[in-house]
Amino acid sequence: MTVETRGLSRHFQMGDQQVVALDRVDLKVEDGAFLSIVGPSGSGKSTLLHIIGCLDAPTAGEVYLKGSRVDYQNKKSLVLLRRHFLGFIFQAYNLIPALTAAENAEYPLYFTKERKSKSERKERALRLLTLVGLEHRAHHLPSELSGGELQRVAIARALANDPSLILADEPTGNLDSKTGKSILELLKRLSTEEGKTIIMVTHDFAAAQRIGAVVEILDGRIQDRI
Amino acid sequence: MIELFSLASRQLTRKKLRVFLIVLGIAIGVAAVIGVTSLGEGIRVQAVEQIKASHDLTTIEVAAGVSEESVTLITNSKIMAIASDPHVSLVATYVTDSYVTQNNTYLAVKGIAAEYRQIHEEQLRVAQGRWFAEATGAPIEIVLGYDVARRLALVDDLGVGDEFVAKLRLYGEEGRPLDKQTVFKIVGVLESAGDEHDNQVFVDLVQAMALDEKDAYDGLVVKVADATFAKSVRERIESIGLSAHSAQDVIDEVNRLMVAVTLVLGFFSGISLIVGALMVINTMIISVYERTREIGLSKALGASDFDVMKLFLAECVIIGLVGGVLGDLLGIGFAVLIDLLGKPFLISALGGSIGANLETGSITIVTPAILAGGFAISLVLSVISGLYPARRAARLNPLDALRQL
Repeated sequence: MTVETRGLSRHFQMGDQQVVALDRVDLKVEDGAFLSIVGPSGSGKSTLLHIIGCLDAPTAGEVYLKGSRVDYQNKKSLVLLRRHFLGFIFQAYNLIPALTAAENAEYPLYFTKERKSKSERKERALRLLTLVGLEHRAHHLPSELSGGELQRVAIARALANDPSLILADEPTGNLDSKTGKSILELLKRLSTEEGKTIIMVTHDFAAAQRIGAVVEILDGRIQDRI
Repeated sequence: MIELFSLASRQLTRKKLRVFLIVLGIAIGVAAVIGVTSLGEGIRVQAVEQIKASHDLTTIEVAAGVSEESVTLITNSKIMAIASDPHVSLVATYVTDSYVTQNNTYLAVKGIAAEYRQIHEEQLRVAQGRWFAEATGAPIEIVLGYDVARRLALVDDLGVGDEFVAKLRLYGEEGRPLDKQTVFKIVGVLESAGDEHDNQVFVDLVQAMALDEKDAYDGLVVKVADATFAKSVRERIESIGLSAHSAQDVIDEVNRLMVAVTLVLGFFSGISLIVGALMVINTMIISVYERTREIGLSKALGASDFDVMKLFLAECVIIGLVGGVLGDLLGIGFAVLIDLLGKPFLISALGGSIGANLETGSITIVTPAILAGGFAISLVLSVISGLYPARRAARLNPLDALRQL
């Protein structure tokens, strides 16, 4: 079991009102699975992803990653989880404009504190770019790349620290449907070939259904599996 | 570490103009401090050189030591202790007494021996007549300093070859004044020495001590083989309870004064550095705002608070390093400029011998220590200024940061 949530709730205070973003969510994701979470805007799907990704803390309930409970009070352990266990892909790519594609792919390795030599890291970044089909763009700056290419670089970056779990927050949201499809294919390939567990938040119900398991979330609650 | 700085330099090269402006701001501040400090240092060195040129650094004046509890007299055993120092080449003892002529002309009479004349050879040149002979008995032979000779000729109408009666005022055991009359014979007059010797009258030490009935000397002049030994010899003299003075005292005084003046001036010119620091703080805060998303991203990708802080501080270190180098270069230029423009002004303002002396040297001196100091100021200032923005970046909540546009 890679990911498990038990009774996960998240409340936000909006002025006088309390907004329930997540309501007692129980979710299990097996190793190597590709789970899509679908739901309308404001349904709480992104909040769920952020809590699993250790970027946000639940109001109640528990999250287990690789069988051990996540301690959201312990900032250091959250950093370590993000550093070694998790990979993130964002809708807006979030590449660093000052760095080339290869350097962006290499970026998480600056924080892993492993004594990897510079050439080893460069090599790994290039291998990952090759994996996402972008080796020929390795030395271009983000401003010189197309949206699909940017997201491929972001995927390569998400793989840099060799995470078990990859969290993708609407990875195709900014892309045209053709490019979006190829990105989804790439993610699917990573899940089957590299054995990564992937949780993806998306609007595209049909596309999600083609790839793997889908859960729908509505008003902070998981609906029955479709 | 290297990666950290290469990342930081990549970030900085993306905003070249902005970085150039901060670096320039810091560099100008550093250059102002360097320029002022080099001026202080230059004037200090000039002053010290002048003292060295006009004073003999190898002689030490020794007087009886006076402390709160006691007076340490210059006795023969003390002189032996001083003379036994291998670095001491000559020890000249003397006594000083006050005589008055019958016309009430005051005479500062100094009883000296051959060693004293040897040390002060330059100042004790006979212009007229000859040196006194030793142990002549009455009349006792004396040699007059240049100014004394003129005074005596004018007031008492005395010249070389004349004899006259002078009174020495002593105090008896009950404290009553006791005047003792002596007959002096003027045998020589000295050239003008331009110092205190012009106002003194010289007599044989043995005869002087027979007259004034003293059993200790009033002073000593110690000559060391080389000026470098002056300090240790002087410390030895002071350790046996006597007081010592030398030209080094004047040099020390000038050094203290100039260092203090330079520090004060440097401090105020350093105010321009505050402007530089504010620029760094401002720019880094803007940079943190602009890169909020990037900070959130870095945290999502596993950067700790400290990692984020290091990223920003590394940029400040680079700004500080570049600012330091540029500041040093500008500072050297500034020092040259002060020398070119300021020297003619100083020479005309000071005039005379001081101005003339300035013409040979430079009024600004940039030492490696000044440059190192300027460099360090730039580096420390940049890093300190970066601390607050970097901390602010480090404390950002990753999720909030990622949501930021």
